[in-house]
Amino acid sequence: MTETASSVAPPSRLRALTGNNEIVLIVILAVLCVLISIGAPQFYSVENVVAILRQCALVLIVASGMTMLLIAAEVDLSVGASLAFSGVVAMDVTNKTNSVLLGGLAGIAFGASVGLFNGLVVTRLRVNSLIATIATMMILQGGIYLYTREAVQNRHSIRLFTDLSTGYVGPVPVPVIIAALVFIACYVVLRHTMVGRYIYAVGANEKAARLSGLRSERLKLGVFVFTGMLVGLAGLLLASLMNTGQPTAGRGFELQVIAAVILGGTSLMGGRGTLIGTLLAVLVLKVIDNGIIILRWNQDLQMIVPGLVIIGATWLDLVRRKSDAR
Amino acid sequence: MPQSPDLALAPRPAPSILATLARRNEVALLICLLALIIFFSLASSSFLTPRNLTNVLGQASLAMVAGVGVAIVVMSGEIDVSIGSLAGAVGIPLVTIMNMTESLPLGIAGALLLALVVGVVNGYLVAYLGINSLIATLGTMFIIRGGIYLYTGQRSIPDTAYLEEFFQLGNGRFFDFLPYPALISLIILAIFIYVMRMRPFGRQIYAVGGNPEVARLAGFDVRRVKFICLVISALLAGVAGILLSSRLGSAVHVAGLGFEFQVVAAVVLGGVSLAGGVGSLVGVALGVLILSFLSNGLGMLNLATEWQLVVTGGIIIAAVAFDEFKRRNQKQ
Amino acid sequence: MLDEARTGHAAAIDTSIPALEMVGIGKRFPGVLALENVDLRLEPGKVHALMGENGAGKSTLIKILAGVYEKDVGTIRIAGREVEIRTPRDALSQGIKVVFQEIALIPEFTVAENIFLEDYPTSGAGNIRWRKIRDDAAALFDRIGFKVNPDARTGDLPVSQQQMVEIARALASEARIVVMDEPTSSLTPTEVEMLFSVIRRLTSLGIAILYVSHKLDEIFEIADTVTVLRDGRHISTQPKTAHTSDTLIRDMIGRQIGDLFPRSRGAGTGDVVVGVSGLSTAKLADIAFEARAGEVLGVFGLMGAGRTELAKALVGYDPIRTGTITIGGSPLCPHDTRTAVSLGIGLLTEDRKTEGLMLELPVMHNMSLASLGRFANMSFLDEKRERSAVQEFVDRFRVKTPSLEQHIKNLSGGNQQKVLLARWLMRGLKVIVVDEPTRGIDVGAKSEIFALIDRLAAEGLAVIMMTSEMPELLGLSDRIMVMAEGRITATMGRDEATQEKILNAAIA
Repeated sequence: MTETASSVAPPSRLRALTGNNEIVLIVILAVLCVLISIGAPQFYSVENVVAILRQCALVLIVASGMTMLLIAAEVDLSVGASLAFSGVVAMDVTNKTNSVLLGGLAGIAFGASVGLFNGLVVTRLRVNSLIATIATMMILQGGIYLYTREAVQNRHSIRLFTDLSTGYVGPVPVPVIIAALVFIACYVVLRHTMVGRYIYAVGANEKAARLSGLRSERLKLGVFVFTGMLVGLAGLLLASLMNTGQPTAGRGFELQVIAAVILGGTSLMGGRGTLIGTLLAVLVLKVIDNGIIILRWNQDLQMIVPGLVIIGATWLDLVRRKSDAR
Repeated sequence: MPQSPDLALAPRPAPSILATLARRNEVALLICLLALIIFFSLASSSFLTPRNLTNVLGQASLAMVAGVGVAIVVMSGEIDVSIGSLAGAVGIPLVTIMNMTESLPLGIAGALLLALVVGVVNGYLVAYLGINSLIATLGTMFIIRGGIYLYTGQRSIPDTAYLEEFFQLGNGRFFDFLPYPALISLIILAIFIYVMRMRPFGRQIYAVGGNPEVARLAGFDVRRVKFICLVISALLAGVAGILLSSRLGSAVHVAGLGFEFQVVAAVVLGGVSLAGGVGSLVGVALGVLILSFLSNGLGMLNLATEWQLVVTGGIIIAAVAFDEFKRRNQKQ
Repeated sequence: MLDEARTGHAAAIDTSIPALEMVGIGKRFPGVLALENVDLRLEPGKVHALMGENGAGKSTLIKILAGVYEKDVGTIRIAGREVEIRTPRDALSQGIKVVFQEIALIPEFTVAENIFLEDYPTSGAGNIRWRKIRDDAAALFDRIGFKVNPDARTGDLPVSQQQMVEIARALASEARIVVMDEPTSSLTPTEVEMLFSVIRRLTSLGIAILYVSHKLDEIFEIADTVTVLRDGRHISTQPKTAHTSDTLIRDMIGRQIGDLFPRSRGAGTGDVVVGVSGLSTAKLADIAFEARAGEVLGVFGLMGAGRTELAKALVGYDPIRTGTITIGGSPLCPHDTRTAVSLGIGLLTEDRKTEGLMLELPVMHNMSLASLGRFANMSFLDEKRERSAVQEFVDRFRVKTPSLEQHIKNLSGGNQQKVLLARWLMRGLKVIVVDEPTRGIDVGAKSEIFALIDRLAAEGLAVIMMTSEMPELLGLSDRIMVMAEGRITATMGRDEATQEKILNAAIA
């Protein structure tokens, strides 16, 4: 009887790391790179590649958390508003304390507390997370203007603060390194730890997970807080990049992030998705952005093309799954 | 027929009218609305005037019109978040055609044609290709907004025809009393309340959203129902967009940004379940009115618009949480 | 009013032509041949019983008839005319009405509206005639003696009444062929009588009935002809009078029933590991019992008796109003599955899909979910050890899966159930609660599951088995507890238990 199970060869390394959706994305990415470089040879220049990676950093940091959240079958639409607010807080606290550490911690703590609030509303009050986080978004958008009418300028001129976004380690920009570290940490947690398994399990079937002895609400709360922390971190980097705490920053950021996560193959229904897919999707979207710029196309295409890509990729995924089922 | 001694078979006493009323979500919403009105009229003397009250109806009309469409889509078990972009986009054909032809009906026809096309695309993607409606309409939302920017070069298109009818449409008052947008929104609301209650198609929407499998077994064409709902939602967003651009007096490229969130919030506040199959348009209308009175009243109290956002967000959470709490208690 | 309409309708039915003929029907699902060359022929005005065990192909056949599935091969003729049925709408328009076992009603609608769901009466202007819907529904209920308020919200009715609403719906429709899938599974005896009078009324109008059941007494009371399916194949079609219980059972099972229930152990006489006293919840009243290590405690009850509710309360899933539960001597915190699991009690749920499986996840992740702690060091998983542990159970339970990475949704019901059982055994339990352990599982896998349950008890677990299947109750249990309306109405030992005694207690 054992032959049924053990005679099957273990899946290849590549297949184990990537699902089919990732392969679709890799192909799309490759095609994009080839097409763009034909029109604009400078696409492959070191400067341009570094620029693309830098563009990816902020989205990737938040998208890593959002991937976990969607896998756990929840969503957070307040990340854009929270991004701007944590940036403002980080800049303001740094101004007042002259300490980047305190300012950074304040920004991250602010993001985390927004996540905590969302998590509590969703898990304790049982409000659907789509609605709850739309409401949080409104509260934050109002709240940020109550906090400050105008942008909080950089009054401390601490080098370290600006280095967070503009500095380099060797040839690699600091935000790219931070994003890579965040990504790797999330990847390890999701793939190699109990917590990761539990996140998938709760998202795939919360009732079954609870009956198996998991504390699903606590777990979801944790993921909300973690995503909030990452938003705070991204807010800090954004404030550093713009050298101000800008209340209007982050408009539409939530949609960018969610679009990337969904494009990466993570299911809105929970239980399905990978961080590799998210990474590839962020790259695809940013390469498109970059291509539109260096090909000197109209920059308004930066909204249209991703819209088409999201719909197209979802449809391809659907077609593929249907043919798999046969 | 043997008389049954079985308790389970005993006819249930008809629930008292009061109990039935209290269970209805609309009553709770109505009480909320009245409480708001009483509070604001005590707090501000200029609140409870016919002029102000009809004003609020006018302000509420956009969300009311679009809200009816979104509510129907949500009742059918899907969602439409492209309405904000679409409401902004229809201003372009409207104003452009009017500027060229000096005809309001032609402009409106152009605007509704655009809405129809978007609705058909959304409906096809969701109902026939089977793409998750949040993803599909998020995609069209991006595409439409990008299209607006691309076409207008991120500038507004001014109305150079200066048609009186066009101005009146958004700003005039019926018999110098009810703003036309309010009148239009109430007519649309009435039509769809009638459809949802009295036409088999309305019942099919509930059935499809409540349990697609049962609906299919009952012989309903689930895909067709969803398709039509998305088309209706787009058309109503188009109507809202026409009213909006009349109020603004031009096609503004950022018009309707964030409108989808407002509308979805009002719909859910009105008791429509995101899971589909549950909700009433009366509830949706009350949800829209509550949010509109709230923002009007807070404005009267000279509270900054920022506070309005904060309070609105808080109220949405509280309302949905309360509803959820009530439902869980009923189950017990 | 309706009857007039129906008589006019019935006059059009020609009784000399078969109402329905299905010839050479075949249907294949991925990995399973569900139906092979099946024939079926219904006569107008007659009740034709379709019998067979779970997995025999009964539901596939009626789902083809209902337009839920499309047949791969074969022909369907209605009143002599060949038809294609691709969608439920096709079936309805051919005059086929199927009453499914799962409730197919919209819970938010009133009872009256659900009766007319398929065909709303409308005025000339196309408006729904609500008054007519209500009055006709009330008249219909009156006529069949079904006492339910037509204005009641359907979701508020008990399951058995919802089932009756479904059956009443068949009367209101214009159907020439009515299919009933296990219609009595949740009915009280009075309601069963009512059902039979509905069936007689339908047949007197010339309507053909296909009656799907595995309850022999019902078949002998109501059917004219009996067709038996086994393993997707047509076994026999004979007039009822040609059959005895024995011949029917032989056709259905095709082997000795004793083979199904291996028994490798003596009566359980271990320590008490589960103690329940004064337990009440929203659906349960004053439950008290004990279960011992090494025994199978069977819990029987009709649908709605509270079996599943008891199972959920025992593992801390449902909130408890009063009462205490102790597992291995330690009290269980109410409403906390986590401590329940850590005390050593687990539930194999009735509804695998919604409460047991993570359909999108691989077999390995499904199986090891409850015992990940064993393979983790500071939360980091040692996948090698996990994999070999999972492989061990896959081998031991003979789970048929191409690999441990296979999504569990691609496994058959029986193999899914084995994985879920393994989820608990890997964790190591003192008590396992199994709720309808063989629902939706084919006959072959059934006996394997029975053997596994038997072995669990032999290895010293206390097994609490909720079931509505009489054979598995009598075949596996050491003691039997009967529930009705949320209470325990009888407890008896294996030797004193008889079908009659159990049923009497279940109806009490």
